[in-house]
Amino acid sequence: MMTLIDDLRRLVGDRATDSSSERLCYSRDASQVRGLPDCVVRPLNAIEVSEIVRLAGRLGVPVTPRGAGTGLAGGAVPVSGGILLDLSGMDRILELDLDDLQVQIEPGVIPERLNWALKEHGFFFPPDPGSSAMCTIGGMIANNASGMRCVKYGTTREHVLDLEVVMADGRVIHTGSRMLKSSAGYDLTRLMVGSEGTLGIITAARLKITPLPRARRLIAASFSTAEAGARAVIEAFSAGIVPSACEILDRTTLSVLSRCNPNLALPKEWDLILFEVDGTEQSTAEEAEKIVSACSSAIAVRIASGKEEMEEIWAARRLVGAAVSRLDSTLSRVYLGEDVGVPISQIPALIARVERIAEEAGIPAMKYGHIGDGNLHAALFIDITDEDRWRALERAADRIHLAALDLGGTVSAEHGIGLARARYMERQWGEGLDLMRSIKRALDPQGILNPGKLGL
Amino acid sequence: MTEELDIREILKCVRCGTCRSVCPVFRELGWESTSARGRLMVAGHLLDGGLPDEAALASLRSCTTCAICREICPAEVDSPRLIEGARRELSSRGLLSEAQLKLKTRIQATGNSLGEARDRLAWMTEKEVPDRAEAVYFAGCLNSYRYPQVAAKTLSIIKPLGVTVLKNERCCGSPLLRTGIAPDTIDHNLEQIRATGAETVITGCAGCYTTLKKDYPPEFEVLSLSEFLEEHISDLKLEPLDITVTYHDPCHMGRHNRIFDPPRRVIEAICNLEEMKGNREEARCCGGGGGVRSGYPDLSLRMARRRLEDLPSNVETIVTTCPLCVKNLSDAGGKAIDLIDLVAQALPEHARGSGSSPGH
Repeated sequence: MMTLIDDLRRLVGDRATDSSSERLCYSRDASQVRGLPDCVVRPLNAIEVSEIVRLAGRLGVPVTPRGAGTGLAGGAVPVSGGILLDLSGMDRILELDLDDLQVQIEPGVIPERLNWALKEHGFFFPPDPGSSAMCTIGGMIANNASGMRCVKYGTTREHVLDLEVVMADGRVIHTGSRMLKSSAGYDLTRLMVGSEGTLGIITAARLKITPLPRARRLIAASFSTAEAGARAVIEAFSAGIVPSACEILDRTTLSVLSRCNPNLALPKEWDLILFEVDGTEQSTAEEAEKIVSACSSAIAVRIASGKEEMEEIWAARRLVGAAVSRLDSTLSRVYLGEDVGVPISQIPALIARVERIAEEAGIPAMKYGHIGDGNLHAALFIDITDEDRWRALERAADRIHLAALDLGGTVSAEHGIGLARARYMERQWGEGLDLMRSIKRALDPQGILNPGKLGL
Repeated sequence: MTEELDIREILKCVRCGTCRSVCPVFRELGWESTSARGRLMVAGHLLDGGLPDEAALASLRSCTTCAICREICPAEVDSPRLIEGARRELSSRGLLSEAQLKLKTRIQATGNSLGEARDRLAWMTEKEVPDRAEAVYFAGCLNSYRYPQVAAKTLSIIKPLGVTVLKNERCCGSPLLRTGIAPDTIDHNLEQIRATGAETVITGCAGCYTTLKKDYPPEFEVLSLSEFLEEHISDLKLEPLDITVTYHDPCHMGRHNRIFDPPRRVIEAICNLEEMKGNREEARCCGGGGGVRSGYPDLSLRMARRRLEDLPSNVETIVTTCPLCVKNLSDAGGKAIDLIDLVAQALPEHARGSGSSPGH
């Protein structure tokens, strides 16, 4: 009798495996979600993907696409078993079309690599998740990922012109064109962006690229309260400034950072807002001055324009994720409740609630994130070998999600829903989720594409 | 279970995948089990008492222990140490590869990793060496048998500085230790070193260096040849050469032991140095270490070819400080030489001894 692995080997040879340890390695991403695939396949082109999906359809076997497996919600974890499609080997940049401000890539291209290729031509692909050095652009599209600079340039969604997608029945379709704008029917591209592999498998993407700014300036402002910081952000926007980054680091975060790095160049007693502006020398100088004016309630303000000085500050910001486990090796950061978003004006209220929730749970929490688009990362740290602490953390994360929804926000601003946050979809979307289910049924009637995700 | 394979240390890995961006083996093979993150999952399974299948064995054995993942790991997980621990676990369960078994038998039979029955000191052109000295040159298996000219040049240059050799040196233990097997040559070498009364052991091999430094009792100072040469640079009376070379950091000199500057200072005392694309902490592995060259020769060569892509344009000569790197990079088509080859070329005419003819 032919087994699944035999069928897959017939299609892709030794790029398919059912080895138990390989399956184990693909059973997790960076979240706590687990699920063992039956087979792992590493396709190299859309034709192979299409054949694999057709096979899965015939056999009624689930197919879960995966990029680099850096997700924080289990989106790429095959929770119902079946075929795990590792698309990270499809990593060619297919076309640099600078005249038309676009590139075409395969889904496994790593954003940092694309940006190296674009840099010499004076362009970049702006979405910049913390995982830019290792995640894949396919995964970014599937999760509508973003990062620090999306406050000015928009999230991944704003940069996708066209997708080549293998549908559940094996058809290969295009969702857009080379056009930078189009007014012709449903926006299938945007339907696919953020669909986490539940509607189709992305096998190529045409992306809009942006000219690199010539200058940057960084403004670091300390405030006595997060509220005062949020007001300054709102004032800066009202003054007509769209910063290229607008970050908040609360005092807990700063005090942990200063323990990691005693030479930290940032004051740690207050809540800190980092504004970055980019453009020309002249425009950034003007905008920096306007931001300083918007920060009139700040205790201390500093403008950095030297490359090294700015790099020093951003390096401190990047350390945040892992900082606590460097101080205390028994503590690990657990990514739960880590990606909520609320309207900018509600950020101080959210920070206050997270503080209370963490305190009640007896868990240290650093609060930081992209205040310019209302995205707060709460970093909770526990001894993960202690089961009681796990339960306390899960309760705290649940309360953080509910607090965000209560403030009119979202349970995930840039990391995705996967399985980790699936149970909040009903509450966040109401009737809207029914519509999503109808779309899912229409496009994947057998339910073979990444089942179990998005609360569908 | 070996103490190094500590579940807490494995749990520090949050599977962020940063290691995927640098692991040279993963770059070639692409399967998750061949990234540090995957290897730690495999090691964790082993720690839980799991039985390793073929992919698990390949996962743990194909790591060059180059430590570039440790360099950038946000959680500071010491993957090379954990992987060596997992290899010891495999070895304690009797799960040795053919390459490992062969190596173990060779070293037991001949005292060297190459299975050479010849006299280990055949490379010596300096027949007269003192029994006792302040410092001793530990040549290592590769330089003794594969690069005898390198060993000979080294000794002729450093002997006048109060250095002798071991009468009966054996394999330092590195090739076995890195693949998880306890060597039985360490005590023998220790006795030999003690017999010379030397307080300093000098070696020009990255594998020997890290082993002498970290796996031998701290009875003596261990110096890499580049450190020793840098210390005595004015004694050598080097004459500048009008050439440009590049430097490849061996993983066990650079990342593992932070010896970045001494070889560069020696090179810069002689000629122009232009850096490779990945250098110092970010130098990509040549693919030779951790038992990968003997266990997976094709993979090893692919990594070496990839490393050659990092050469600066218009520079041919790669200077390095490890015979395994010289060998692997040369086999991949590179023009790799040992630091001592460059030093020998820069010696004043009268100081070029019999061992200092160029090339090997």
